[in-house]
Amino acid sequence: MAIGVPLAVREELATRPGRDTLFTVAVRWLLIAVSLVFLAGLLLAPLATVFATAFSHGLRAYLNAVMDPDTRSAIRLTLVSAAVVVPVNTLFGLAASWCIAKFEFRGKSFFLTLIDLPLAVSPVISGMLMVLLFGLQGWFGHWLQDHNISIIFALPGIIIAEMFVTFPYVARELIPLMQQLGNDEEEAAITMGAGAWMTFFRVTLPKVRWGLIYGVILCNARTMGEFGAVSVVSGHIRGLTITMPLHIEILYEQYDFVGAFAVASLLTLLAVLTLIIKTLVERTGYKRR
Amino acid sequence: MSITLDQVTKRYQGATVVNDVSLDIGDGEFFVLLGPSGGGKTTLLRAVAGLTGVDHGRISLHGRDVTHVAARERGVGLVFQNYALFRHMTVADNIEFALRVRRMRAAARRARRKELLRLVSLEGLDDRLPAQLSGGQQQRVAVARALAHKPEVLLLDEPFGALDAKIREELRRTIRQVQRELGITTVLVTHDQEEAFALADRIGIMNLGRLLEMGRPDDLYARPATRFVATFLGAANLLLARQSARGLSFGSDPVVVPHVESGVHVREHEVVAVLRPEEIELAPSREALSTAYMADGAVDEILFSGALERLRVRLGDGAAGAHVVRSESGSDPPYLEVTRSQHEQRVFPLVPGQEVALGVRRLHVLPTPLSSFMVCAPNEEIARQLGGESLLNELATRMKTRIAVQVEPSLGSAALIGSAPSLAAASPGIALSPGAASSLRSASLPGSVPSLAEADGDEGLAFGGAAVIASRPGALRSVEWLLNRGAEKVFVLPPSAPSPRRVLIHWVDESARRATLAVSASLLRHVSAEAVYVGILPQGGALNAQRPLGMRALLDARSEAQAVHGLDMRTELRFGDVARELALRLAESPDQLLILGITDVAELDKRFASLLDEPRWPILIVYEPGERTRAAEPARTADLIRFA
Repeated sequence: MAIGVPLAVREELATRPGRDTLFTVAVRWLLIAVSLVFLAGLLLAPLATVFATAFSHGLRAYLNAVMDPDTRSAIRLTLVSAAVVVPVNTLFGLAASWCIAKFEFRGKSFFLTLIDLPLAVSPVISGMLMVLLFGLQGWFGHWLQDHNISIIFALPGIIIAEMFVTFPYVARELIPLMQQLGNDEEEAAITMGAGAWMTFFRVTLPKVRWGLIYGVILCNARTMGEFGAVSVVSGHIRGLTITMPLHIEILYEQYDFVGAFAVASLLTLLAVLTLIIKTLVERTGYKRR
Repeated sequence: MSITLDQVTKRYQGATVVNDVSLDIGDGEFFVLLGPSGGGKTTLLRAVAGLTGVDHGRISLHGRDVTHVAARERGVGLVFQNYALFRHMTVADNIEFALRVRRMRAAARRARRKELLRLVSLEGLDDRLPAQLSGGQQQRVAVARALAHKPEVLLLDEPFGALDAKIREELRRTIRQVQRELGITTVLVTHDQEEAFALADRIGIMNLGRLLEMGRPDDLYARPATRFVATFLGAANLLLARQSARGLSFGSDPVVVPHVESGVHVREHEVVAVLRPEEIELAPSREALSTAYMADGAVDEILFSGALERLRVRLGDGAAGAHVVRSESGSDPPYLEVTRSQHEQRVFPLVPGQEVALGVRRLHVLPTPLSSFMVCAPNEEIARQLGGESLLNELATRMKTRIAVQVEPSLGSAALIGSAPSLAAASPGIALSPGAASSLRSASLPGSVPSLAEADGDEGLAFGGAAVIASRPGALRSVEWLLNRGAEKVFVLPPSAPSPRRVLIHWVDESARRATLAVSASLLRHVSAEAVYVGILPQGGALNAQRPLGMRALLDARSEAQAVHGLDMRTELRFGDVARELALRLAESPDQLLILGITDVAELDKRFASLLDEPRWPILIVYEPGERTRAAEPARTADLIRFA
């Protein structure tokens, strides 16, 4: 290609926008390298450490640590609470985003701010709020005690705390989506004689499904990984009110590194799995749109 | 009737978006709602579909009152501007949606779907997703989908808005064909007049929430009743002309167009004439014209636009003042727009700057009583202030008319204020031209009075349209003075009055009804306000005996407003002293305007002195001398003036 093209012309061509020169190539690779090193140092290395430490005493030690009854109870508690929190918050998120996107009402912006509150408040404070409300010294403490209901230091407390913290995830994902997609399809369905339920299940829900799934995944990841708020309300009763993140901390403080990192690796796997599902959802979602 | 709207009103955050719209659409009719964006047409369509509730009025479909029936039970088909197809469903599922809702059997659904796809010529695209179709195809699917459940009424909301010109035309033809084939009553909303002409059996024109006029497309184009419709449907030159027994004349040069409808308005008065660009003939000289001579002019600009040649012709000195269409900037000198066919171009080729004679093939006079505004003030400062009032300028801009200025020192003189109203004519210091002094009713202000209107080339028209005066102490005397000198409409304007939200209408005597209603209708077409006729009966023992009389007057007023002026208004009946009741009603909120019809100037002093001394609200006084019997308002056809 270079044959017959004078050097001057080639140089001139190279200065045109969009042409590669040695310099631009070098800058590009340098930038990529810097970001890769950064990623590797800050994200990949810790991830690798988790697995390395977990398997440092061999597979047997790892399995032992995982099969430990306390660990299994922590895993069970984590899954049970997520199984309650995620559906409840999904329903709430759908309802909240629906009414914010479709209706005009007084106090709408206040409502929006309120939904964002859990994101702004530190999780520890969220936990403290729960204790203040439901604890013995709290507003409802005596009433709850009189009726023999235990919330704080029990499963309900953990669920309420997690619910509070993961409140905004589904709603935040759906509100802009619903606002952007507008109301026309629903209105078309209504003029064609569809009732409210049919419009919701046949039109609205399919319309926002990818956003909804994404919100649910984020909500789930946060629920399983929540530490601060749960730590305050759980009371750290071994085998009863310990979720996986709490269990990891306890093991770590007992210098049981293999145990701690084994549980951590499980949690990490859950997170990675969530991220993979999320990526897949995004891909199919964009393809379908 | 397929669709009947009765006084439908919709307010949105205090503003009236749809204002008292009444409308009948026949079976199988293709009705087009046309108007600029923000005119309330989409809101009205959504109200018919049931997607928007109404604040007032009734909607019936096929004789069934559906005002409070939910959208899903109204049985209408609605097509949206952006298609609103269900994006996650295939074309087939989209079309079958309404049938699924009705639990139709699969085989029947498929048959209906095939039939609909054939109707919109989209056979074979059943399994596509909306995203895989072009815009035109998507809109066809939307039309098929809206028709699936065999609705009684098809509503289309700017269905071609997002399509390019070629596809638009094709789809237009499809929709017209489908409509004919099914014979379905159809309402289409658009802002594109070409679309309206191509599709409509009847067009209704909406602006500022009001349905201004409706009729067959050719009728509306040839004989509009309002300035808005005249200029919105096609291009139009609006001219201020003087109509007398001799005919129409433009400007100060007495160029009298020979023919005028007989028996109407014997007295010379100002009218607004509509002159379509294609109805103007250009010739080298007056003698060469084959049509009635109108004025001389000079070609200012020539634009080639395919089949037609567009020209701007500056009117010669004599008729320059006649032109009233104000361009958006308001600074353009008066031009007439003229279009000529290829044939005319060949017969008489033109170059910019060339002098031509203008002839008129056909002219239409608008039946509007508010032709223009004339600010009347004792000195230039007050005149300038008054001329700059936002409400006045808003009205003039919307009415596409001009504000002339007349400085009349005697308006502020002590003699005037001190003089008894009936003696005003004889009071000294009032400059009247000799001819006018003898006959006050046809007085024209002398051209020698210092006038800011000179820039307009205006040389003292008779009181054209409404005289405008400032609301000052003693405004009542000024009103009387003007009315005694030939003004028929006097607008008393307080400083920085807001644009009215509500217009109150009242007349003292039933013989003032016609004139007051005509002025009211003319004004209300240009403001987004609700009209309320206030009937007032004196309080007394004979209350019950009077009540039916009062109700009768209200009903008469309403039906006349609707029948003659196409104006829908609310009515209310009050008891007590007229001026007091009106003042009470006005005191309710500042953004109101009062239109007051009177038959005797003396009444003003006797009954409305308190109201008119220095009013805080804009008041438009309509004076209809009681003893004079006026011929009936010209029918639309009589308004048409043919030449040659």
